[in-house]
Amino acid sequence: MMFRQCICRFIFTLTFSALVLLGSSCAFAQADTTATDSTNAPKVKKPELAGRQLCIGVDYFHPIINYFITGQGAYEIAADYYTKNEYYLVLEGGWGWSSVNYPNVLSYTTKNSFLDFGFNKTLLPRDRPTDWDKMFIGLSLAAADIHRGNAKYSIVDSLWGIDTGSKPAPKPYPAIWAELSGGVRVELWKGLSAGWTVRGKFMLNGKSFNNLSPQYIAGYGQGEKNVVFDVDMYVSYSIRWKRKGVPLPDKKTGVGDTKPTPAPDEKKDSK
Amino acid sequence: MISGKRYLIAILIAICGTWTACTQQRQLCLTPTVASLNIASKHLITDTGTIFYDTVLPDAEFVPLNKNNGSAIVDSIIYPQASTFTISLSPASDTCRWLFRADTTGILPRDYAYDTLTFVYKRDLQFLSNACGYTDFYTLDTVLTSHTNIDSVHITNTSVTNDVSAMHLQIYIHPDF
Repeated sequence: MMFRQCICRFIFTLTFSALVLLGSSCAFAQADTTATDSTNAPKVKKPELAGRQLCIGVDYFHPIINYFITGQGAYEIAADYYTKNEYYLVLEGGWGWSSVNYPNVLSYTTKNSFLDFGFNKTLLPRDRPTDWDKMFIGLSLAAADIHRGNAKYSIVDSLWGIDTGSKPAPKPYPAIWAELSGGVRVELWKGLSAGWTVRGKFMLNGKSFNNLSPQYIAGYGQGEKNVVFDVDMYVSYSIRWKRKGVPLPDKKTGVGDTKPTPAPDEKKDSK
Repeated sequence: MISGKRYLIAILIAICGTWTACTQQRQLCLTPTVASLNIASKHLITDTGTIFYDTVLPDAEFVPLNKNNGSAIVDSIIYPQASTFTISLSPASDTCRWLFRADTTGILPRDYAYDTLTFVYKRDLQFLSNACGYTDFYTLDTVLTSHTNIDSVHITNTSVTNDVSAMHLQIYIHPDF
């Protein structure tokens, strides 16, 4: 019951913050409503004026949580690379551990590293080519290798007494999950950004844990649950360079050199 | 694209929400951790010889026996006015014994006599959850009984788990009782 209340509260918070952000961005997203006859007009491919960007971030939220929650810890880093049409390739990784020590019930330790690969899509259009703030949704697939130590258990029966035993450490086994994410990132100062990502995670091979579901999987969360929610908060730094054939936009105006690059045939003609 | 003030508000709300969601560290164990064996008492009507009906026993008594020395582990478990009973099997062994008396208030000599129920089973260690740990589920193999007040026993479900609604054994009380 308490857990359900927490989830409801959490979902409400996320919905509310998303509404706040959407409300703020709607004003920027409105465009002039000039009517044009586009029925027969050929579809013109919008030129990609933004340059390339590689952004590397460190999650600072989980280390803070580690401080307050005993028995578990995780560290995460993330990198994304801007491809085109507001799509980013995303690679995340990290490591962590957990220690379960429930007297007269169960005790064991686990540690794991994880890797997450997917893409993000920016939801809002850029104000200008140099605008790298983004509100995004993403999809990714993640995997972790779980190393569990020897597990000791006790079965307490009020009538027959206590029966104790142990489950020896198994070979490292995988956990695979899919992630649906959403979040924002804002550039604070010359490539230095801050942002947060909310994630819904869906365990794909949860049935294989029936022998002993890990209490905590770094990168995922509670290993006993097939669906979990998580938040990452990042501080990140971006490296940018110009796209081939497109000049780097002016830093002050944010406008690129819109003069079209001459086609190879034109160059020959001019010679 | 996104105004800084609103971003800060959103980040604060997200922190508060996450903090609330993360404060509960250990979940409560809400699953029954002991596999219960449910027994129904049946009575055979002497006249017909074929019709059985549920029998409400006046004050039935169950006593678990220590495997090593045969002494009672606890004094007794008495069920007043009941036709269904719940007992447990020993997780430390593949057999266990219970004493059974149909009526502890009776005055006849046979009312004082006990029947012995011997359960033979296989244990299967099951992981319930991190909060609840492990427990044993059982597969009933054989139930042996003496015949003071019990006519016979019949296993209806061999799988003894923490499902409290399943019925596993029927005890047929002697027609003369």
